[in-house]
Amino acid sequence: MGLLSAVVNGILMGGIYGLLALGLTLIFGIMKIINFAHGAFLMVAMILSYWLWRIMGLDPYLSIVVIIPLMFVLGYLTQRYLIKPVLDAEKDVREPIGALLLTAGLSVAIENFVLMVFGADYLMAQTSYSGASINLSGLSISVPRLYAFIATLIVTVLFYQFLNKTELGRAMRATGQDRGVALLMGINVPKVYGIAFGIGTAIAGLTGIFLIPFYYAHPTVGEVFITKAFIIVVLGGLGSVPGALVGGLLIGLVESVAAQYMTATWTAILVYFAFLVFLLFRPSGLFGSRYEW
Amino acid sequence: MARLASPRYYLPVLLILLLFALPLFVKSPYYLHIMAMVLFWAYMATAWNIVGGFAGQLSLGHGAYVAAGAYTSSLLFAYLGISPWFGMFIGGLVAGLMGFLVGYPTLRLRGAYYALATVGFAEGFRVILTNTTHIGKWKTGGAEGFMIPLLGNAPQHMQFISKVPYYYLILVLFLILVLICRWIDGSKLGYYLTALREDEDAALALGINTARVKLVAATLSAFFAGVGGVFYAQLIRYLEPNAIAGPIMSNQIVFLAIVGGRGTVLGPALGGLVLTLIGEITRVVFNQIMGLHLFLYGLLVVLFVIFKPRGLIEFLEVLWNRLVNLLERREGKHAA
Amino acid sequence: MFFKARTGIVFLLVAFLVTLLVAGCGGGGASKGEVKEVKIGNILPLSGSAAPLGKIGKEAREMAVEEINAAGGIKSLGGAKIKMIFADSKGDPATGVAEAERLITQERVALITGTYQSGVALPVSEVTERYKVPFFVPVPSEDVITERGFKYVFRLAEKTSWRNREQVKFIQDMASKFGTPVKTVALIYEDTAWGQGAAKGWEKYLGEAGLQIVLKEPYPRNSSDLTPVVLKVKQLKPDIIFLCSYVSDAALLTNTFAEHKVKPLAFIGTSGGFADPVYFKTTGDNCEYFFDISTWEPDVNRPFSKEVNEKFKQKYGYDMNAEAVKAYVAMYVIKDALERAGSLDPEAIRKALAETKLTSGVTQMYAPEIAFDESGQMIHAPLVICQFRKVDGKMERVTVWPEKDARPGWKPVWPFPGWDKK
Repeated sequence: MGLLSAVVNGILMGGIYGLLALGLTLIFGIMKIINFAHGAFLMVAMILSYWLWRIMGLDPYLSIVVIIPLMFVLGYLTQRYLIKPVLDAEKDVREPIGALLLTAGLSVAIENFVLMVFGADYLMAQTSYSGASINLSGLSISVPRLYAFIATLIVTVLFYQFLNKTELGRAMRATGQDRGVALLMGINVPKVYGIAFGIGTAIAGLTGIFLIPFYYAHPTVGEVFITKAFIIVVLGGLGSVPGALVGGLLIGLVESVAAQYMTATWTAILVYFAFLVFLLFRPSGLFGSRYEW
Repeated sequence: MARLASPRYYLPVLLILLLFALPLFVKSPYYLHIMAMVLFWAYMATAWNIVGGFAGQLSLGHGAYVAAGAYTSSLLFAYLGISPWFGMFIGGLVAGLMGFLVGYPTLRLRGAYYALATVGFAEGFRVILTNTTHIGKWKTGGAEGFMIPLLGNAPQHMQFISKVPYYYLILVLFLILVLICRWIDGSKLGYYLTALREDEDAALALGINTARVKLVAATLSAFFAGVGGVFYAQLIRYLEPNAIAGPIMSNQIVFLAIVGGRGTVLGPALGGLVLTLIGEITRVVFNQIMGLHLFLYGLLVVLFVIFKPRGLIEFLEVLWNRLVNLLERREGKHAA
Repeated sequence: MFFKARTGIVFLLVAFLVTLLVAGCGGGGASKGEVKEVKIGNILPLSGSAAPLGKIGKEAREMAVEEINAAGGIKSLGGAKIKMIFADSKGDPATGVAEAERLITQERVALITGTYQSGVALPVSEVTERYKVPFFVPVPSEDVITERGFKYVFRLAEKTSWRNREQVKFIQDMASKFGTPVKTVALIYEDTAWGQGAAKGWEKYLGEAGLQIVLKEPYPRNSSDLTPVVLKVKQLKPDIIFLCSYVSDAALLTNTFAEHKVKPLAFIGTSGGFADPVYFKTTGDNCEYFFDISTWEPDVNRPFSKEVNEKFKQKYGYDMNAEAVKAYVAMYVIKDALERAGSLDPEAIRKALAETKLTSGVTQMYAPEIAFDESGQMIHAPLVICQFRKVDGKMERVTVWPEKDARPGWKPVWPFPGWDKK
């Protein structure tokens, strides 16, 4: 039963990691930018969701209606006013390093701004389902994690459909493959970038909202998750949507199951080094194409 | 002699002399300590630049090499009595070997993959350092950190009461590294690296063994980072895995180099000098409001990237040329 | 060409910045003759993830200094006022060293105190030892701080291992009192200096007591998920679970224990995260009946405790914690030493600190007697065990052990009654 519990928990946590990685991989796939501010955006959504719950008694899941559009706008504006000027200056570069540094600097600024305004306290929304668990003959399943997992599946499927079936989705993929050609084909590349960054940020926000009923928000909470998300996107293949989900599940499972046989710290080491060895054999991840990025 | 009369020659010489003369004017150990730390960061950014700038491979895990050098020399000193003066080379070699081992599998990867792989490696290494309390009979301290035995004034073991020797030590290391970078920049290796950075496929087509060139750069960079780590160990005399091998160290180095001007000989050093001083001053001045100084720091980086994408170096080059021209014109008048 | 143009720019800039620094160098230096103020340097983490912990220490000291100055300052120094110079370590050893250098050589402080983290206290103590300036350590608890033969280090806090000693004593006491034999123990701790130190202490004292350690589980600090650890513990069914965590992990562990209904005889924390007021705000009822160890509690049965805490609460809006009390009491110990030293000479202050024997005044809220042994270690740091209990429907830390310090009328609930009985 212990092992089964570990497997179930691994899958649930893996889903959440995958959701965070999805936003990251999207931004990379289309803009070729590793978004170091992704964790900071996650944190902003967590804090917003917490305060909406605290002040207005709004259920975190309901706060999606308010926060997701807000995060999208935040992402869109970030791209429009901060990243775009840098990208314009680095037009000919395949992977713009300046933009990467910009997101890293932005992340430091956002984290410390939140620290200044909200303080460094640990915040968690105490909802009716926080800490609730379903008991199936000794196997306990955490309710908020289950919800988060279901949300991940829904978002991934919807998103996959969006990329493959809609006009805008196709335009985004085309831009990801070659922005020069996309431009020639009449695609409004800056707009696509804005939308991509907006959606990526919104997904980070969504992850945050699903975390807040069982995980603590504080200014540096993003750092807890971001390194894992980095590993997951590389594992799954940078830019690959199913890769993010599969990579997330894989990391979640390894973390949870391996920890039953060794200490939690050695599990962390195992994850990092197994990842390096994996790269040796599949340098572009599970689903990444060698040439697509 | 005529050449020496040109400000393009005598100004740099004058400035180096000034740097050497600095401890004659600055007596305060605190300012000397800060200057040594500033030079340390300038040195680290310059070392990172060999792989991060010249080769264009974004390493986000240099903290691991710094720690490798620092721990190697300190352990050798504490348990075998090997002076850090030798330990410095051994530490550098161990770090270089590590850079090679990390680079060998990962440098086949490009861009983002390599960058994220180095994040994973450094994190893994940090967790190992944190959780290893002994290597055989040698106590490494694990998370408690490792204290380098205090000997008082022991120049033969690179320990001094005064800050002046530390200042000179890092100054000399820094100047040597800058000269090496200048040499690389102008050498065949430098051209290969430039070709590689600009267009890897084209470089391959030209018959450059890009994987090997990248590996050379990664190894060299790790070696110098390791040597820097030894200096850090001797100055602070306490190694804490999170502080020395953690993301703060790794990211700081990258920040400095890119803000200063990645891929140029002196840009990273400039970034190290300016940002460290700004960081130090804002920390002392704005410590009343939690987070304010780091907020400003982040904001500055964002602004630099937007408005000075090539780095600070571009900004100051203009100033320098103006100064030189001014001096040359004045001399011209004198001669007339 | 010998150097490129760029070379010069850099050096020019350095020269400029150095001039700036040197210009700022002036001033400083205590004038001889009449002493108007006593500068005390205080290194704390005022930014970074430990910033809130640094903040409460700063507030406690400011309150103490205000009181001391309002009461006429240091009388043997002609009523000189204490002036605190706060410095931010960011929780980073290298920054702590730089700040110690600055406080000593620029600000010319008479004494340095603080650091919160042991990892900063260790390298800072090397600096103070080198300059022969007293270093008063109220909070950091790593054993080694006072075990290196340093002459200028004084520590008000207990050693980490003392906590572990008392925790083991406590479970043995409970086992015999309530007739619930204790055989197996699981250790769960973060993989930091503090956690590893605790594990060492537990191993030592549990071994001496003949108890079996069935699980030794370090985990990375600020984990994203601790369910795997909890599942492992659940499988092993230990009698006692010892925990050593900062607040986020402490709360995460507590809630995950609740989710999986792990039920040992007792959960026992080791201060840190468990002592953080945020802990029971964010765990709700889940932390009920958990135990924690500390040196002070708001309800502890000691003189001055209530009054000082009340004042602090009015001023800053929340209760003190053990660390704030140590910081507060530290200022009074320092004041006492300064009175007896009657000079700003570091040697005289060191000597006065070493001879400290405080048995009256507000320091009573911390310990009946404050005195240091030759290593500079506070001799009788008092430890108490509290239990999270509902008092009039509100969760509180209630001191329950040892009996003489316990909140009147309260006794420990042992064994842990289970998750459904709440």
